[in-house]
Amino acid sequence: MILIGELSLWVALLMAAWSTTVSYAGGALRRDDLTASGVRGLYATFAMVVLASLGLWTALLSRDFSVEYVASHISAAMPSVYIFTAFWSGQAGSLLFWALILSMYGTIAIATSRKRNATLVPWATGTISAILLFFIATDCFKANPFTRLDFLPADGRGMNPQLQNPGMALHPPNLYLGYVATAIPFAFAIAALFARKLDAEWLGVVRRWALLSWFFLTIGIVLGMWWAYVELGWSGYWAWDPVENSSFLPWLTTTAFLHSIMIQEKRGMLRKWNVVLVVVSFLLSIFGTFITRSGVIESVHSFAQSPVGPWFATFFFLATGITIYLVGTRLKDLEAKAELESMVSREAAFLYNNLLLVGIAFTVFWGTIFPILSEWAKGTKITVGPPFFNSVNVPLGLLLLALTGVGPLIAWRKASVSNLNRQFASPALFGLIVGVVLFALGMRALAPLVTYALSGFVAGTIVQEFYKGIRARQAIHQESVMTGFLHLVGRNRRRYGGYIVHAGIAMLFAAFAGMAFATQHDVTLATGQAFETRDPYGHAWRFVSQGVSTSSPRDRQVQGVGLETFRDGKRLGIITSEKRQYLDTQGNALFTPITEVGIKYSAKLDTYVVLAGVRNTDVAELRISFNPLVVWVWIGGYLMMIGGLIVMWPQAERRRPQAGYAAVMPTRTEPAELAGV
Amino acid sequence: MTSRRDFLGRAASGAAAMLVAARMTPAQQRGRTHDSALVRDTTNLFAMDQGAAQPVRLPPKPGAAPSMTDVQRDELEHHIHCQCGCTLDVFTCRTTDFSCQVSPAMHRDVIALVKGGYTAQEIIDAFVGVYGERALMAPKKSGFNLLAWFTPGVAVIAGGVLLSMWLRRRERREPPRPAATAAGTASGPIAVPGVDATPEELARLEAAVKGDGDA
Repeated sequence: MILIGELSLWVALLMAAWSTTVSYAGGALRRDDLTASGVRGLYATFAMVVLASLGLWTALLSRDFSVEYVASHISAAMPSVYIFTAFWSGQAGSLLFWALILSMYGTIAIATSRKRNATLVPWATGTISAILLFFIATDCFKANPFTRLDFLPADGRGMNPQLQNPGMALHPPNLYLGYVATAIPFAFAIAALFARKLDAEWLGVVRRWALLSWFFLTIGIVLGMWWAYVELGWSGYWAWDPVENSSFLPWLTTTAFLHSIMIQEKRGMLRKWNVVLVVVSFLLSIFGTFITRSGVIESVHSFAQSPVGPWFATFFFLATGITIYLVGTRLKDLEAKAELESMVSREAAFLYNNLLLVGIAFTVFWGTIFPILSEWAKGTKITVGPPFFNSVNVPLGLLLLALTGVGPLIAWRKASVSNLNRQFASPALFGLIVGVVLFALGMRALAPLVTYALSGFVAGTIVQEFYKGIRARQAIHQESVMTGFLHLVGRNRRRYGGYIVHAGIAMLFAAFAGMAFATQHDVTLATGQAFETRDPYGHAWRFVSQGVSTSSPRDRQVQGVGLETFRDGKRLGIITSEKRQYLDTQGNALFTPITEVGIKYSAKLDTYVVLAGVRNTDVAELRISFNPLVVWVWIGGYLMMIGGLIVMWPQAERRRPQAGYAAVMPTRTEPAELAGV
Repeated sequence: MTSRRDFLGRAASGAAAMLVAARMTPAQQRGRTHDSALVRDTTNLFAMDQGAAQPVRLPPKPGAAPSMTDVQRDELEHHIHCQCGCTLDVFTCRTTDFSCQVSPAMHRDVIALVKGGYTAQEIIDAFVGVYGERALMAPKKSGFNLLAWFTPGVAVIAGGVLLSMWLRRRERREPPRPAATAAGTASGPIAVPGVDATPEELARLEAAVKGDGDA
């Protein structure tokens, strides 16, 4: 099976080359037979990449250490689940994983679009196959996962224990699923440019795939944050590391696109801008993979510095050049078909939302690449870290949070004064009350105060929208609150799913602001000794060391400490933290020692205990942190995922004859749009 | 014309030939020592330079007393970049799980300088003197680095101005639409009990209830 997999990878290379060539030829010569052959070539590429992937999985699961990739990434003693996920833990495997997902996505996208987007199919197929060709070629020639060793090791090197975590098993594939999904909108955008079919034909398929990309990027980013928080022991979840940034970049531009595409759907505007966002999102995904894989920028994630960097750089600049040429030669075809009616409209709000999202993306990109620019221009290596990103992005983020509340409430085309008054009075008042109450309670830090006030405002807008919708359903259909809620969401998935995503965003902002009040204590405790302190809310805490224990399970040596924990005199239980040294089958140390963090979760704060070291066998050196509101980061993330799922869920097209309130409105005003639906 | 089956067959034969050729290429398989084969791309995390710490020491000031509290010292360490190869500050790196030996060494230097009576800025300058600008977590706001700090702000403000100008230019001049009355008209929307809304909002609700709207 391993040999079949290796062979399949080479056949996939040929298939992708074939599909690229004949698909583009089919598009240029308007020959359906060539197009059909190109499409079949894409399907065959998918089949071959599946076989290649099965080959690699077989090598991993059979622990065939004669394969270099297997020997380098797993060991005999590793749990099977992490042997399975080792497929994407190294460079060669992750490139094959890229190809696997892209060929699957491409097959689905083309198979489901052949009739509806017939004119785009040859160009889209050619573009998807060209991207596939790049990844498969990189895998074949620069990072082949089937390369054999000329000796047979007794055991493999294994996987860093920090990566043997459910979060890390799921975080990379989700990011990949998100990254790769940007390739489909890109392919259709390129197809639309090639075919000069820049009307609404490409919008449907592009929106669906952009949404899928956003959904998986969201999951991937949140899982990565969670893993960093529970596994790395630094009491945080985001460090503005270049690789973190590179996953955030396509998320930002895809989010911008998902808003601006609504303007094109509704008004036929922003056609050029939307093409640019689709293309930029894809290029940023390639940039992200390039950053992760090239080692060109210093990063805690740049674990695989290898010769694929120049290949990625070439591909990146080639794709950029072709896109600029295509957009530049088709500017006239991209002219807007409608005009803006008012600066006070949802269109304008969405455009400012786009400005901020792209502005934040630019800031993150700029900060990420500036060390390279500095070294190139001055010969000086510098670091651009959290102080830079926080000071520049916090104001932009707060403006964006404000627009998260404004956008959904303001009317399409032109908002009237009465619309503004009625829609914004209650949420604005609620936000103001939140700010005033927190100020009265003693909160003086400006950024968190503004964040909570704005989060209150956004929450107010969402609650108001649900309230009005449910009341309307109750009035018309005599439904209960819960039934009304379910029907409201079920029948307006894009709108109310979007609101749920916004609720998750507001929650995330509030949780981020909570970390401004985090406190940390370095403590040294012998057995029976206690440490007493107060958390940021003023509760009294007492931690009593239960002593240091040692154990030697099969594959590791463990030192652990338990802290009996009391809050305001009430016993909460024991929080344990461990220091682990993993061993190979011969008892040699594998990797560096790692810490298992002890976390006591609660809605108000996490109590976070890290065993930093042990002295004299029973004296534990500990760091105890109180991290307010962290759990709301994960809940906010879940909400965003749920909202995303609701938005993505297929909805049957309904075109009922208008009746009731809508029927009596002047037809030109398109009531649903006018009033902000 | 070549049939699909013929084509696939030939493609597979070609690939097999390429595979055999690749296997026979010495450079692909033979030039690697046992160690290097396994060292490459193995740890899944960045390569740490455990020897990167250099002494940052200054004589204590006369009659020196600690210049700051432990909390202030920890805050100061958030502004000093660990040199182990990560992108973290000294405080974060030494309290993470990377088993770094560089950040604890830098931490010891910070403690000594604090005990020696040096201010936060003097300590930062001492680290920059030894390690260069890389000792900072963010570039200094001077010279070429001003580009780093001001480009994003200038870009966003310029974008905002341009967007506003573009919107103003595209704003259509037309007579205002007849305003709907709050109570509705004989042929207009009716009020929904318990919902204080304009006819436009009622229309939106209607659309929402019918399920033909979106966000």
